[in-house]
This record gives sequence, structure tokens and C-alpha cells, in this order.
Amino acid sequence: MKKFLCVLLAAVMLIGCASALAEEKIKLQIYGQYADDDTKVPYDYAVEKLAEAYPNVELELIPQAQDDGATLLALATAGNLPDIYQTGSGIVTTLRNSKQMMVLNDVAEKTGFLDKVYETEKQFMIADDGNIYAFPYAGQEYVLWFVNNALFEQYGLEIPTTYDELIACAEVFNANGIVTMSLFGQEGWNAAAMYDTIATRYIPEGIKGIDNGTTSITDEGYMKAAEDLVKLAQAGVFQNAVTTTNYDQASEMFLNGKAAMFLNGQWYIEDATKALGDNVTWIAYPSYDEASYEANKHAFSGGGGSISGYAVNPDSPNAELAAEVAAFISEKYCEAKVMLRNNPLVAVNTGLTNDQLPKMMQDLVAEMPNMTSTTAFTWGLTNTTWSNSIGVAAQSLLSGQFTAQEVIDQLVFELE
Amino acid sequence: MKKYLSNKKAIVVFVLPAVILFLTFIFIPILQVFYYSFFKWDGVNQATFIGLDNYIRLIGKDPTFKIANANGFKFGLVITVYQLVLATIFAIAVSDKRIRFRKFFRTAYFIPVVLSVTVVCQLWGNVFNADNGLLNTLMKTLGIEWSQNWLNDRNTAIYTVAFVNAWQWMGYQFALIVAGIKSIGEDFYEAAEIDGATALKAHWFITLPLLKDTFNFCLLISVTGGIKAFAEIDIMTGGGPGNATNTLTYIMYNHAFGRQNFGYGLTSASVLVMECLVIILVLNWLFKDRETPLFARKKGVDLV
Amino acid sequence: MSKTKKYTADGKKAQPHSLSSVLFTVFLWAYAIFSLYPLLWMIMYSFKDNTEIFQTNPFGLPKVWRFENYVNAWNQYDVPLYFKNSVVVGAGTVILTIICAMMFTFAVTRLNWKGREGARTLISTGQFIPVQAILLPVVQTVSAMGIMGTYWSLILPYAAINLAFSCMVYYGFFKGIPKEMEEAACIDGANIWQTFFLIIMPLVGPATMTIAIYVFLSAWNEFLLANVLVGTTAHMKTLPLGVLFFQGQFTTDWGSMGATMVIASLPAILVYCLFSEQVEGAMTTSGAVKG
Repeated sequence: MKKFLCVLLAAVMLIGCASALAEEKIKLQIYGQYADDDTKVPYDYAVEKLAEAYPNVELELIPQAQDDGATLLALATAGNLPDIYQTGSGIVTTLRNSKQMMVLNDVAEKTGFLDKVYETEKQFMIADDGNIYAFPYAGQEYVLWFVNNALFEQYGLEIPTTYDELIACAEVFNANGIVTMSLFGQEGWNAAAMYDTIATRYIPEGIKGIDNGTTSITDEGYMKAAEDLVKLAQAGVFQNAVTTTNYDQASEMFLNGKAAMFLNGQWYIEDATKALGDNVTWIAYPSYDEASYEANKHAFSGGGGSISGYAVNPDSPNAELAAEVAAFISEKYCEAKVMLRNNPLVAVNTGLTNDQLPKMMQDLVAEMPNMTSTTAFTWGLTNTTWSNSIGVAAQSLLSGQFTAQEVIDQLVFELE
Repeated sequence: MKKYLSNKKAIVVFVLPAVILFLTFIFIPILQVFYYSFFKWDGVNQATFIGLDNYIRLIGKDPTFKIANANGFKFGLVITVYQLVLATIFAIAVSDKRIRFRKFFRTAYFIPVVLSVTVVCQLWGNVFNADNGLLNTLMKTLGIEWSQNWLNDRNTAIYTVAFVNAWQWMGYQFALIVAGIKSIGEDFYEAAEIDGATALKAHWFITLPLLKDTFNFCLLISVTGGIKAFAEIDIMTGGGPGNATNTLTYIMYNHAFGRQNFGYGLTSASVLVMECLVIILVLNWLFKDRETPLFARKKGVDLV
Repeated sequence: MSKTKKYTADGKKAQPHSLSSVLFTVFLWAYAIFSLYPLLWMIMYSFKDNTEIFQTNPFGLPKVWRFENYVNAWNQYDVPLYFKNSVVVGAGTVILTIICAMMFTFAVTRLNWKGREGARTLISTGQFIPVQAILLPVVQTVSAMGIMGTYWSLILPYAAINLAFSCMVYYGFFKGIPKEMEEAACIDGANIWQTFFLIIMPLVGPATMTIAIYVFLSAWNEFLLANVLVGTTAHMKTLPLGVLFFQGQFTTDWGSMGATMVIASLPAILVYCLFSEQVEGAMTTSGAVKG
């Protein structure tokens, strides 16, 4: 009798397990950005496609906190990382050393992701030890100076090509209560990008050079760029509260005609076109004189890509599946960006073409083959000390209250 | 009686829960903070012992360290003065039976405490915005030529941020002092009334001396609140412009999470803990020799 | 004029109308408005969009009442569940903190044992530790205890963090209780437990209420630890984590975030208003015991 009961029990359990397996979906946690159209649209699109391709997988989204990766680090410390997580260049080194980032070489090959990645992106996707740690979706991205042409016309001004011209424009704009250039200097990267667009006029590698070790902060160009930025700030080119302005404040100023220029990445093209239509264009960065303006017309700030993207926790009970899903999602992000966000600058060749691209994007795509050099956004830098302190330094310069010497000295200290 | 108050079993039962909780989640982590301040550590991987290097660099060389200490002092000073003065005035006012709508005032003054720091910083950030903020706009409308770059001036931004903190947390000090006054008991006031002392005198000679412990505590909270200030700075100025509004906590956070240099960040935290300890000891010593037990009623009345 | 004459027989006040008292009343009202306006501002803000918030109308009534901000917030995350979690964590933290702090302070101030001053100073150091500094060790500890993703993972650290403050507030109050209280109780034959529960506990009522409010609010609004400890456990998240759904790398949907913050703050305000009534009650009781 006992035996029989045991067998019965075992049988019931087996059936139970089997049916549970059949019905129960595999849940994967995914830590990613999900806050605005640029992050929600691709995610929602990817989830929709995932349901078709992997009907047994269910994603549980953990929205990413804007905290410089503090959450991710804390989760790593506790050994509690989600199955799939979005990561930036700064943290890759740390987490791959601690073996909390799965090596994705096989999966990249098996899923065909590796074949679809653009050659330019491949060099960034593959880390210096030859391994792939994350599936990227963002492609080359560029820092652009956006200009509201209507405002320049209204006040009879030419688009500036040198800093002196820019300062002359600022006098007119300031007299009329318009900010010449709005920045969101509260975010270190935006301040740093502004500095980089100046520094690249002197040293084409810009802030990336120091990250690579090919240039030194004591090089004269960095000091000159700092002096230029202080000069612009003191001439009132930027808004008063530039170091505490957030993205939404700065963007609203530009979109509502309260600011004539704006600095942001190319992903802003979509929003700018929607609000200002044909009035808005991007321009080649002004320079310290005409000659260098012409000479550096095709030297861009930004670009460079990074090894960021969706990474996988190797300790996940479904690590292999999570890796496949991560590759799938990254690819779908690219599709969504191309088709739904009019942004063809993605990591993966989706085979899709969007012929409805806004004029500014068409111009940028046409410009790309002419580009002579690119640098990086701060999140594409691998030296976390440098990427952090250049943001702070650029902010000091933007405030107009620090001398270039003071700021460069501070940077020398931080980097020593 | 003495034996009754030295009941060993009872002492253990009373003390143990708090001590275990404290050791597990505060004390051991603090020891870890000190421990890692001697290492180069990224927060996740193996740490490398580097002796006093972090301390030498932070205290001896880092220009931000000096700024952070000065800011801690300024921040502490602003919130101490603002909170203690206003909280005392308001607490005495709402404890006075002659004031109407006391309940309303009591709730109103406490409300900022209930709001989240994010909301409060958002609001004040908008008020102090140098471009289209309420304060500068108001002054312009009134024809006052005194527009300031409230949050972006390297010399004065720290005071603006300190004000926001002082404004928000004044309610706590207020609530504490109100509770303190309640525990003195209403009969004091009545005694004072009969003696013909004016209200002000009565408060000065009776209420305030009796609240010494409360004040000691409030002072401690304010002063150390200045040294460990973080949230308002992080949200409103991000430590800027440049490093102008850095504090020790901000250095800690920025180095640990912004640069993944935990060893250095925790060195800043260690210095912070030590500074706070010194302040506790100094304040305790200052308040000790003139100890006035709360229940020494006779002494209080004699003063009148 | 003698002060005693200002009171009528039932203790109500007669009207003193000197200039200084009028000015003082004006000051009290002005500061009350100064304290309350942000609440109003937050509510108005929660009905606006980014353009109104930053450009056209930062301080006035919304031009268009965007109820969709609330709909957004409601749809984006499980408000009732987050609410429930916040309540459980808040209440649990308050209870645990009060129990530990009250017993500890009782032992430190009323009982005779060596090292009690040292113990008190040690515990009060907790007040000065920035949470950011001990974030990683705490996360490691919680994880090692195997309570990750449970209510305890928040309640225990929260209680520990609030312990110092609570003990320090209690300390002043306990010291103020006359020794005669226990002596009388002792003579009446009460044991130490009875003394604690029946005599001391009611006496520190006002302090307990102040501490309860403080601890509840700090647990209710806490973000940093919550994000790390339960941020990856969907069914354990607390209300402050709701804002993450609106905060992008660059842009933030400030209106919906405002709505989230109103949803998170209003219960706290209600709790405070309710509790402050209780404080009133507690104070009367303690007064009676004292008298």
C-alpha cells in the first residue's frame, strides 16, 4: 500500500511538473531604460516581436534609475543582477572582471547578430580581450549644434562661423531677451560635449584622446579650448542658469523660440523637426577663426560608438536563453529606431530602409562619408575618472566663474 | 530598589534588540567603510591595499576637500540658525493658548517635512532659476535691480541650497520643541502668569532652559546635517558649478559611483564620520557642565 | 494690566490687540502660507505638461487640466500594490524602531549597568552616517541573510537607520521622568516589566508620536535603498520607485512624475494629519498621568 502511494505521489508530481512546464512561461528580468518615446517605442516594439518569436518567454521590466550606475553596481555587489541588463562603457570593465557579464561570442554567432552588425560598430562591440559582452543597438551618434534659422533671420543675423561672430550674435539676442545657445549643463555630458566641439578645433581627438592616452591634458589645445569656452560664457552666449538647467528646461527654451541654438545628439533631430519644421538645421561647429573653421568642418564630436548595450547575467538560471533574447531585443531596437524613430544610425543592419527621413537626418547621413574625425560622448569613455571630471570641468567653464588655468589644473590633479 | 534596577536578565532583554540591529546594519558597515578606505577598490572586484594613500591624497592634495569642509560649515550654520530660531518661535507660539488656529499652524509648519525631497527641490529650483525663476521675475516686476544667479554662483550657491534644506526640515525641530514644551507641562506658564512675568520673560527663563536637552539634540541634528548634506545638492546643483557646492558626502558619492573609485569615496565618508564624532563629543561636553534635568521645576521657577 | 485678567473664566482668551501681536500674527500666517504653497504647487504641477512647467506657466493654475498624467501614472505601474508595500514597510519599520529604541533608552537611562553611556554614544553615531556610504555593505548583508526581496529586506535596514534618531529623542524624555515614578511603582509591588509597560510607556507618549511620524515618513519617502533592495522584485516595490517610469536618460515626463509624487505624498500627509490628532490625545493622557 505504501509503495503504491509513493508511486502515485511520484506520478502526480511528475504530471504536475510537466503541466507546469507546459503552461508556465519563463520569466526574464530586464533592466533597461523606459521613460520617453526614444526608449519606450523601441522597447514596446521589441516586446511585441518577442511574443511572436519566443511565445514562452515573458519579460519583466525593471526601469533603469538615472543614478550613474549606482543601482547596477549595488546589484552586482549583492550578486543579484537581473537576467538581462543595459550597460555603459564605464561599468563593463568592472563587471566583466567580476565574471558577472556573460561572454556572448557563441550566441552572437549562433543568432547571426555578429553578421548583421555594421563593420564600424564591430570594433566597439568586441572588447579589448576579444570577447563580446553586450549586444549594442545604438550606432554612431554625433553631437550637433542645432540652429533656429527663423530667429537668426528675424534679427538679421548670419549663422556664426567663428566665436567672435557668435559673441556678436549674443549681443543682439541678449538685448532682445533671447538666449543665444541653451545647454543642459546640469548633465555633465552636455557640458563636456560643448567643450569637445571647441577642443576638436585644436585637437581632433578631443576628449577621446585623453581616454585613449594619445593626448595629454597639458597639451596647449585643451587650454585654448577652455579659454574660448570661458570667453563665450562671459560674453553671455549661454543662459544664466546653464549649470543647473536640465534637458527639458533647455529643450523647451529652444523649441519655444526662446533660444536660438541648442546642443544635443543627433537623436534630437526627430523632436526638433516635429516642433520647428524647416526652421531648424544643424550647422558645422564654429571655430576660433575662419581658417580653422574651414579646415575642421568635417571633424565631428561624438560618434565613436561604445561597447554599451544589453548584457546578460551568466548566473541567471536561463542564461543561454537570456542571451538569445538579449540579441533579439537589441536587433529589434534597431528596427524600431530606423522605422519608428527615423534614426538610421543604429548598430545592426536591419535591412530596412526608411525613405521618410527628416531633412536634417538626410544631411547627416550624407555627411558621414566626409567626416574626418570623431570623438566620443562621455558615456563612451572607458576611463571613469576622466569621463566624470571632464563633465565637472566643462561645467566650471560654462559658468564663466572659473579661469581656464584653474580648471585645467584641477583636471591635471584628477588625472595624476 | 537598586537590585530591581540592576536586573541582569532585564537589561539584556531591553538592550539586545537595538544593539543587534545596530551592529548588523550600521556598525559593521561603518567598519567596512573604514576598512575599504585603505584600499583601491571598484566596489565589486578584489580590492588592493594602498595604506594611507587615499587619506594623503584627499586631505593633503585634493582642492575639493577644503571646499567641501567649508561648505559643510556654511550649510550647517545656515540650517542651525534658521531652524533653531524659527522652530523655537513657532513652537512657543503654537503652545500658547492665546494664539488662535494653533492646530492649523502646527500642521502647516510641519507640511514641508512630509513632502519628498524631489518635489521640494523641484519647486525651489524653479523659484531660484536665474533665467525665468519666480524670485528674479518678481524683483524685475517690482523694479528691484537685485537679480541673483542663485544656484549658479560659485560663492553663494551653497547658501541657497542650505536654505532649501533649512526650510524643509525646520518642521522637525519644530515638532521636537513642541513635544518638549508639552512635557514641561502647562502649569509652568500658569505659575509665571501669576507671578506677573511677561510672556517673553517666562519663555526665556523657564521654557528655554528646561528644553536644554531638546536644544542640544536639535543643534546636533542641524550641525551634522550640514556636514552630511547631499540630496538637495545632488538634485539642485549637482555639486556645481564645478566643485563649488561639493560636500564630503557628495565627494563620497561622486567618487564611489560616478568614478567607481570606492576606496577614495569611502575615505571621504570616513573623514565625515570622524568629524561628526568630534562634533558630538564637543556638543556633549558643552552642554554637560550646566546640566539641567528636565524635572528640576523649582530651579526653573526660582529664576523668575 | 495684569496678565491674569486676559483670561475669561473658561480659560478662553481675551483679545490682546497691540501692534506687535498683530505683526506677530501676520508673520505666523505668512510663514504658514510659505509652508503650504509647495503642496498646492505640487498638485498644480501634476496637471501640467513640460512646456507649461518650464516655459509658459511654472507657478500658476494649469491652463489645461491634464488628468491624463494621473491615468499615465496609474497605467504605468501597479499603484495599489506599491501602496500596500509602502504601508507594510512603513508600519513595520515604525513598530520595530519604536520597540527597539524605547527598550534601549529605558535600559540606558533608568537601569544601572556598566557601559550604558558608551552604548548610548555608540548608537547615536548612526545618526551621522550617510546612507550612500553604507549602501554596498548593507546590500551585501541583506543578501547574505537571504531576505532579499522580502519586506524584511527593507524593514530591518530602515529600522536600524532610524534607531539613532529615535534613541536620541527618547533620551531627553526618559531623563525627564522623575525617579520617584519607579520608586513608587516598586513600593506598590510592580515588577520591572510592569513598570516599563504601565508607567514609562504612557509617559513618553508625545515622544513616541513624534518619532513614529518621523520614522514613518523617512521609510515612506526612502528611495536609494528601496531601489537597490526591492527594485528588481516587482511585487515588493514601494511608491517612491514609481518615478523611475518617467525619468529617462535625458527627458523626464515631469507632469506624470508630479502625479506620481502626489499619489505618493497624499497618504503621508493624511497620516500626518490623523496622527497629529493622536499626538494631541497622547499629550493630554500623559499630562493626566503626570498630574
